[in-house]
Amino acid sequence: MTTGAGIYFDGETSARREVAVALAPETLVIMDARGDELAEWAYADIEHLPAPAHVLRLGLRGEPVLARLEIHDPAFASAIDDRALTVDRSGATDRRARTRVILWSLAATLSLVLAAVFVVPELAARLAPLVPAGVESRLGEAVDAQVRTMLDNRNLGDRLVCGTQAAERPGQAALETMVAKLTRAAALPVKLTVIRREEANAIALPGGRIYVFQGLLAKAESADEIAAVIAHEIGHVAHRDGTRAMLQAAGLSLMFGMLLGDFVGGGAVVIAAKALIQSSYSREVELAADAYGTRLMAQAGGDARALASILNRIEGERKPGARIWLDHPDAQARARAIHAIAPPGAGVPLLDAEQWAALRRICTD
Amino acid sequence: MLDQTETSPPRRALRETARFHGSTADYWRLMIRGALLLMVTLGLYRFWLATDMRRFLWSNTEIGGETLEYIGTPIELLLGFLIAVALLVPVYGGFFVAALDLGVLGQISGVLAFLLLAVLGHFAIYRARRYRLSRTVYRGIRFRQTGSAWRYAVCAVFWWGMIIASLGLAYPWAQARLERFKMDNTFYGDLPGQFDATGWSLFIRGLPLWILVVGPFLAGLIVAVGWVDWAAAAAVTRQGGGDILGQIEGASPGFGAAVVIVTLAAVWAVLAAAFLYPAFQALTLRWWLGGLRLGTVAAASQLRTRQVYRAYARFLWYSVLFTLAASVLGGLALLVIGLLGSAVDTALGEILVTVFLLGAYVIAALAYSTIYQVTVRLALWRLGLESLTLSGTAALDRVKAVGRPSSSFGEGLANALRVDGW
Repeated sequence: MTTGAGIYFDGETSARREVAVALAPETLVIMDARGDELAEWAYADIEHLPAPAHVLRLGLRGEPVLARLEIHDPAFASAIDDRALTVDRSGATDRRARTRVILWSLAATLSLVLAAVFVVPELAARLAPLVPAGVESRLGEAVDAQVRTMLDNRNLGDRLVCGTQAAERPGQAALETMVAKLTRAAALPVKLTVIRREEANAIALPGGRIYVFQGLLAKAESADEIAAVIAHEIGHVAHRDGTRAMLQAAGLSLMFGMLLGDFVGGGAVVIAAKALIQSSYSREVELAADAYGTRLMAQAGGDARALASILNRIEGERKPGARIWLDHPDAQARARAIHAIAPPGAGVPLLDAEQWAALRRICTD
Repeated sequence: MLDQTETSPPRRALRETARFHGSTADYWRLMIRGALLLMVTLGLYRFWLATDMRRFLWSNTEIGGETLEYIGTPIELLLGFLIAVALLVPVYGGFFVAALDLGVLGQISGVLAFLLLAVLGHFAIYRARRYRLSRTVYRGIRFRQTGSAWRYAVCAVFWWGMIIASLGLAYPWAQARLERFKMDNTFYGDLPGQFDATGWSLFIRGLPLWILVVGPFLAGLIVAVGWVDWAAAAAVTRQGGGDILGQIEGASPGFGAAVVIVTLAAVWAVLAAAFLYPAFQALTLRWWLGGLRLGTVAAASQLRTRQVYRAYARFLWYSVLFTLAASVLGGLALLVIGLLGSAVDTALGEILVTVFLLGAYVIAALAYSTIYQVTVRLALWRLGLESLTLSGTAALDRVKAVGRPSSSFGEGLANALRVDGW
């Protein structure tokens, strides 16, 4: 029978004992210096435990008492390795188990990515119409303060909002006439505010608040062009795109942020991935809002093609390369789609020349 | 082999020291493989990597002639994490709804959420420590931790509030109090832990560093505040209008100089803090190790500050090397991808470039973290251990086993909340 030296801890006390270990056919027997048996472990029950490279550390599987046997002699360690299947000094068993884990987590990753790309947007789209109007307008008001702070990039404070000066009153009245014509046709209440920002842009919040940027008033060549952009934004409100985007963002951050946790740099990846997924999705959303805006302009009696002309103008002036996230589809493609659905005829301008001139004076003090 | 050469010093001397057997090359291998797997599994591999890291660190740590053993498993960590997520989802949902409330609740919901998450975070840190201790075995006996995690969490949040309010001056007492809380509830079998270092001793050692970092900043702030005519500046701000800063400068001539002074003071504080951080870490580690007690076993540390600086220098050096290599390779790859993409379609080119930059960001973040883990964390572990002198180690021979393993919920919660602590 093979015997060797070991160090034994019985798991009841921390006493260190130098022992002799005898390898029987089915068990290993641990004996003290006088040859008295301290323990007998069946090879099948032995557990191979983490230890420094030069030590083989063994325990008994599933035992609450953590008895330990340490073998420092490499030849004797390999003799035990030959007899006990669970002893895995080459690490082959561990590597096999690890490969399985890696394959499973790859599969889990793939399914999460698929869920993020296909399931979450679909769910958000299904859920958004179910959100009651009252909740939606609350949602809009709750984010309004933050949105305003974000829009106020020049720290204007109260001066961010235009239309409050006496000189702007005729322009503000003209704007209200225009909005009234659109909301009557849309049968949707909206709250429209012009703000001091140089970009030619407009945004809609859930619940019907719309911000038109001063830059848009400057770029437009007719009142109908502004009306067309507002009609496009009303399209976003009617389609509940804001609510949908918020639901989608919440779903994605829950999924990526919480489930996957934040391994280094994970946070930034989540944000960028969200932007990427959302931008690919928002192209359809923009086209749908274009279609809605075009129809709404026609219903209100204005020029249904005005949206196409202002889009082309704004896009033409943009620097190449500024379109990183592609959140708006190509202006030409959008214009083609608008022309395809716009009814024939130019319509009657929503504002007369005097009202249009007054409108352009908003924000110019 | 190792056995003969390494145990040759008399066991007596061995009993009073601690050593680390792990090779840095092995740890590099483990960490780099872990980083690659983290990347392809979007981080799901972290439970396995954390377990591997602990197994390596624990089993190569020799204290008084015997090595530690980590018996936790990745599955335990994963389960604890899933339970924590399941419990946190309703909490996050509640705060989302509360934030929509336009009344008082909505306004204070941010503060409430912050406080609750701070308390939960420290709760998780305490429970995670309990998990790790109960998975730490030494000479066939496990460690354990008692005590209420909620009490610890409230205590910790209070003391962190004090630290912030005192600009860091309360840090030594906070550390001493929290460490005493942890160690008074720590046991090795039936051997009770204790923490013997005082806040005063850390305060006296750390005060020069604090003065170097915060002193000039405070002085700059006070001088700058004196230069500005606050009444005039307030009047101008109330009027509003574009170019507020210019108007304030007009109303109160010292304003521009004051802004410059405050900026310089802040830059000084940041630079000094960065440069002195290793020294701070060395003295805190020395203080902490010197305060640890287990029954009659006491520790003292002769950790050298310059060794810690050397670890950070190595971190900087490897980071610079990586940055250089990555910029060259990354720049070339970006060029090729951009050209290839644009040849087909502009939009495709842009998407490819964006995806590439995203991937590059993840790789860089993981690489720096890996370099840090090996050059700084592992080095500090090794240096801390090798700087130890133990006394009263005879008590380690007569410890009786007590206690059972605890659940990994705390560890999972810490993971879900992204807090870490030891």
